[in-house]
Amino acid sequence: MNGAEFNSKDHVMSVINQSVVVGHKLPTISKKYRLEDFARGSEKTIHTDYEAAAKEGLPAPVAIGPQVAALTFRQMRLCFGMGWLVGGRHDLTFRKPVFVTDFCVARGVVTQTEREGNKLRVHCDVWIENQKKDKVIVGTASALIPVLDCGT
Amino acid sequence: MSSARTRVLEDSQGSRAAFEDIRIGQSIGEMEWRITDDLIELQCQLDQDFDPVFIPQGDGSRIAPPQITYRPPRWLFSRAYNVRGLFVRWESETFRAIEPNTTIKVSGSIVEKFIKKDREFVVYESEGKDAGGNLIFRTRRTHVLDFLERSAPREGLGIDSGIKPEKI
Repeated sequence: MNGAEFNSKDHVMSVINQSVVVGHKLPTISKKYRLEDFARGSEKTIHTDYEAAAKEGLPAPVAIGPQVAALTFRQMRLCFGMGWLVGGRHDLTFRKPVFVTDFCVARGVVTQTEREGNKLRVHCDVWIENQKKDKVIVGTASALIPVLDCGT
Repeated sequence: MSSARTRVLEDSQGSRAAFEDIRIGQSIGEMEWRITDDLIELQCQLDQDFDPVFIPQGDGSRIAPPQITYRPPRWLFSRAYNVRGLFVRWESETFRAIEPNTTIKVSGSIVEKFIKKDREFVVYESEGKDAGGNLIFRTRRTHVLDFLERSAPREGLGIDSGIKPEKI
């Protein structure tokens, strides 16, 4: 995949720049979920209703995966700004169910940088832990940052 | 409340799709999806992420969080097959800023299915293009048909369904 372009929103703040090094830890983002976070009106779903979840063999209602993955997306947006919003990639595996009252923390670390045109693609390992420190979501994400030539 | 040891056979939207019925290569169709300020607002609420770039600024400009593209491909998948199950893998790339008042044509197809750890998985791919044909996003999703193993018999009525109102 390629062809990512920045637009006039290049000014959006990011906390990582071209001097980033492999091993740099991304800032953590955390949230304590509540069942109400996953409600859609009065609809009974595996995300909101104990009986609906039990019918599917689940021990309790489970969180909506993308709403939990959003912790990682927020982390990447914070770190890379527009370079995440345009040009961002992710590959996330939902390894274990997240239950609707779990506490989750998104963590990540820079694993590689590579030049991509006039930008730098920063690759990260990312994961989300629950309150038991189980890695419930694991994967990779990458984003672009502009490369500024300092000149000599 | 004890959890079921059988897989759901049907729900209010009809019979659950069987692994054998899912055809690799089948289109899951296409839809036109309009990005509105209200949708962006709702996505920010869901994610509790209110970065200024998502909120209208002095000149009224804003863009949407990229994950706003999660649902339309899932809706297409549900139009093709009644699958509740669980979402297990999400690959995606965003190529252009997603701005309000953009209409995105979303399309996709089934690309793979497999059995692992006695469970049935389906993989579909989808992409979204703007009116000019520019690629906005591309995604590949893996979905397990049931939380329970495939050796569990199918019987009974489920409460939830994979087919839902097409709204964020």
